[in-house]
Amino acid sequence: MVSRKRTDSAINTLRMIPTKWAIVLVVLLIGYVLLQPRINQWLGWNLPSVASLVGDEKPTTKKEPKPTKEVVSKEKTSEKVSGNVAEKTSEKKSEVAQATTTKTANRTSDSGPKDSAPKNSAPKNSAPKDSAPKDSADDRIHGILKDLGRNRFESPEGLVYGPGSEEGHRLKHIERHLEDQPSRPGPHGVFDGDMKEFLVAIDRAFAMANKGAKGSSKKEDEGAVVYEATFEKPIGFLGGSDGKRRKNPALKKMRVVVRGKSVITAFPVQ
Amino acid sequence: MTSPLIYVESCPICGDGLCRIRICVTNQRLTGLVLCDECEAMWTDPSMQERIESSSSETEPSCPTCNQSLWGEQSHWASIGEVCLLGWFDRVRIAKV
Ligand SMILES: [Zn+2]
Ligand SMILES: [Zn+2]
Repeated sequence: MVSRKRTDSAINTLRMIPTKWAIVLVVLLIGYVLLQPRINQWLGWNLPSVASLVGDEKPTTKKEPKPTKEVVSKEKTSEKVSGNVAEKTSEKKSEVAQATTTKTANRTSDSGPKDSAPKNSAPKNSAPKDSAPKDSADDRIHGILKDLGRNRFESPEGLVYGPGSEEGHRLKHIERHLEDQPSRPGPHGVFDGDMKEFLVAIDRAFAMANKGAKGSSKKEDEGAVVYEATFEKPIGFLGGSDGKRRKNPALKKMRVVVRGKSVITAFPVQ
Repeated sequence: MTSPLIYVESCPICGDGLCRIRICVTNQRLTGLVLCDECEAMWTDPSMQERIESSSSETEPSCPTCNQSLWGEQSHWASIGEVCLLGWFDRVRIAKV
């Protein structure tokens, strides 16, 4: 009812103004109707729809607002941006900043990262114990990994898979390389086998690179070491958008990125 | 609906990762940096001229401003709005995945 009255009064107002201005107003209104959802999507704003303005619909509110987005888009106070740091001068505190106080708390957190990448439904840090098959004889994860406690697992070559990465656990992270992601930009090395075979191949590549085997290398980079080894036969194929474009060529090399003894990632490469 | 994947380029260190914009927000301070989603190499900005160092004892990348893990709850991949706020919009690519 209210919206009907509002619409009538809007029409009466339009009648009172010159035709050319009425046309301009109508064009602007149509432009707003078309662009409002896209602007909200692109910039993370929350512009009300025309329907909500005339009272037919409530403005859309995000059920689970991302605090940082809110900080960026809804702050009315000034923002200092210097280099890679944007400093807020508002009194309003970020919920995220308040909630997270220590590094330890972050690492043991159960909630996933807020991002644009495909989400993993499994809770953080739970992957290995929940989903990985254990060898009943000696309780080894995926048949080869020794449980070190605190969700850390050691391979026969001494590589450690522990909590970390976007997925919450390194085993969950490297699992991404058991499947192709054809729409992902660039290359995406895919291992041809199951998790146990992948872990065995990673260990073998690590051992070959340490021994300086033919076709292997070991490069240090800012606290990490990148190991690479070439296998006699293909171990996987090139996926991702690059792989798709090149008809998924077979790959014989494995690259393993390690910090200390901790595996950061591993995947087949060209 | 798929969300856009914002990245600078494929990672020059590991060759398989995408160098993406990571945001960390602590005490109302927003830090933006470039982080490889595979090997976790870090750069100060999308020019990728300056690396952010981390020690071999660190098993997670940490924010140069607050020192907390970049996989912590206070951190996330940047939205287009945040990339604009940092002044980096013309230096990133956007892909639908
Ligand atoms: Zn990388
Ligand atoms: Zn931070």
